[in-house]
Amino acid sequence: MSLRNHQSLRANMTGYAFISPFIVGFLAFTLIPMFISLYLSFTSYNLFTPPKWIGLGNFEKMFTADPKYWNSIRVTFTYVLVGVPLRLIFALFVAMILNTKSRMVGTYRTMYYLPSIIGGSVAVSIMWRNIFSNEGIVNSLLLALGATPVKWFGDPNASLAMLITLSVWQFGSSMLIFLAGLKNISVEMYEASSVDGASPVRKFFSITLPLLSPIILFNLIMQTISAFMTFVPAYVISKGEGGPMDGTMLHSLYLFRQAFMFSNMGYAAAMAWVMLIMIAILTAILFITSKYWVFYETEKGR
Amino acid sequence: MGKKGWFLVMAMLLVLTTACSGANSGGNSGTSADGKVKLRIAWWGSDTRHEYTQKVVDLYKQKNPNVTIDVEYASFDDYWKKLAPQAAANQLPDIVQMDISYISQYAKNGQLEDLAPYLNQKIQVADVTENVLKTGVIAGKQYGIPTGVNVLGFQYDPALLKKAGIDKIPDNWTWDQYKELALKAASNKVHFDSSMVADIFFHYYLRTHGKSLYNAEGTGLGYDDDKLFVDFFSSMADLIKKEATPSPEVMNQTKGIIEESDIVKEKGIGVWQWSNQYVGLQQVVNRPMALAPMFGPNMEKGIYMQPTMYWAVASHSQVKDEAAKFIDFWMNDVEANKLIKGERGVPISAKIKEAVAAELSEPTKQVFDFVASMEPKASPMSPPPPVGSPEVIATLTDYIEQVNFGQMTAEDAAVKFRADANTILANNKQ
Repeated sequence: MSLRNHQSLRANMTGYAFISPFIVGFLAFTLIPMFISLYLSFTSYNLFTPPKWIGLGNFEKMFTADPKYWNSIRVTFTYVLVGVPLRLIFALFVAMILNTKSRMVGTYRTMYYLPSIIGGSVAVSIMWRNIFSNEGIVNSLLLALGATPVKWFGDPNASLAMLITLSVWQFGSSMLIFLAGLKNISVEMYEASSVDGASPVRKFFSITLPLLSPIILFNLIMQTISAFMTFVPAYVISKGEGGPMDGTMLHSLYLFRQAFMFSNMGYAAAMAWVMLIMIAILTAILFITSKYWVFYETEKGR
Repeated sequence: MGKKGWFLVMAMLLVLTTACSGANSGGNSGTSADGKVKLRIAWWGSDTRHEYTQKVVDLYKQKNPNVTIDVEYASFDDYWKKLAPQAAANQLPDIVQMDISYISQYAKNGQLEDLAPYLNQKIQVADVTENVLKTGVIAGKQYGIPTGVNVLGFQYDPALLKKAGIDKIPDNWTWDQYKELALKAASNKVHFDSSMVADIFFHYYLRTHGKSLYNAEGTGLGYDDDKLFVDFFSSMADLIKKEATPSPEVMNQTKGIIEESDIVKEKGIGVWQWSNQYVGLQQVVNRPMALAPMFGPNMEKGIYMQPTMYWAVASHSQVKDEAAKFIDFWMNDVEANKLIKGERGVPISAKIKEAVAAELSEPTKQVFDFVASMEPKASPMSPPPPVGSPEVIATLTDYIEQVNFGQMTAEDAAVKFRADANTILANNKQ
């Protein structure tokens, strides 16, 4: 080793020292477990006896012999494909309201963002369950209005809708990002369009949406990925059973049951990898199609 | 900072990262040179259980000053999530609380110690009936010591029973009488019960017919005649349809919320469950309640003393003698049992049962009396559920839910359940 090399190594030591916790953590808790899980997905493993290699057995079972797996895929896709667009529309709607100039706007922004801060938590799910329980606020209101109370989480048809509503209600983080995006649109554009006599609807579709489209893309991808991995509300509200009638059996919940209740670790690992691939494909589709609808100012309005 | 300084930083980081992985190991328990013993003990349960168990642990430490005890506790679900990886790493706590549905899995995979050699050496069992002690035997080995026993029964509100037009639960009642009474309650707009947990009560029903849910080897179902399945579950579905029990929508919604259950709201007469659940229910109901035996025919063949839970010793433990001594203390120490108060089931030692009788609250006394009246009648327990039983039970619960919602006939469910259960259990064939 030449002296120069030696010196540069010494100089870089500082850097290596500072990033080593991350690198060690990344290797130990992300990369290595990922490869182990890939290996386990080809095995039958119950945590107690050593993993047994069964080749594609897990995948075969998943695709051909496990109707509950397909049910969980169906439930998850419904949850994502209905929930995410609703959530984004709602977030944009609220963001536009909060973008107006009014005195209380700061308070409102905080209030609307709160559900998202505590969003993923168990407490919110329990509260949600209580609000819609048999004798919860909603049913008491219905009763007072003379309507029949609904078994919100007991009815197989209503329970998934309830989960989706809960996810729509937790719109704060996407709203905040939309709000930042809205602030970036220059006022002159709106003023110019007003001079040209554009209606508010026209302004929204011709100015707001196109200029916001990169942000919509970002939110869409982030929210889709996180929606696919939703676990806590389904677990808490259905008491870990995904009921009634498997109506709230999200993929992650079914995976959890296979892994930790039935000790089918290999099968659960295989499920996780298939889900990873599905999310990757869906994200790729979003990226590819984005060039037809996302508008970047810097590219001179391609 | 010189060369030395950076060396120090790197060394510290190294320590930091290894400390993360070392914190969980705890495998270095054992007797050290100065006679100090370190025990690890783990259990699941509610806050009340955590509190008094800690007191029992403290009492043991006080009487054995050379022993230190690390406790680990969690809720039921979290407990098993924590225990499985510990078992996989051969780092189970020295003493583990075991559930009947998991003990086979842990025992058969070599995680637990056969306690037979400790009986009447470290663990005194002279005052325990054979039938009860045997419930901890799996594949011929004593893997668990029951913490206490339970028996199935009907826990109800006598005043509400009268209101429904029923004087009392008849002595030696039968399945048909039960259905009759349930329908009578329904005609008076009261739910008779809140239905029965599918696997537990179907298993009871099978036992009254001389069968069981699993075969003795745990490699398949323990009954051949699907008619038993159809009879039991179509009757259940029928009672739901005729509103003798709540609808599945309501059941799903109130599941696990005791305050919303029918009996608390005076809309349901009773609940079918294990005797150790009576005290908790009584507290919430807060009205006089009573216990009634299961219905027949052949009630005696159906009921059995089930361990509420077990104490087991990890096979990798370095301090098995001390662990056995602690279990003995739990079973046979009067002072300790005055703290426990039968919360982990009616004590299995006859002497202890007597010694703590005076200390009990009214509902606990009711439970002790009920269990005492059932004990001479009970038949031996079927072998503990085999490996894979959680999946079998989940499958059964799913199909029964569909039957109760009217989406599937009991006949279809019987066939599908048999196929699924046998596939899962076939993994246990050697």
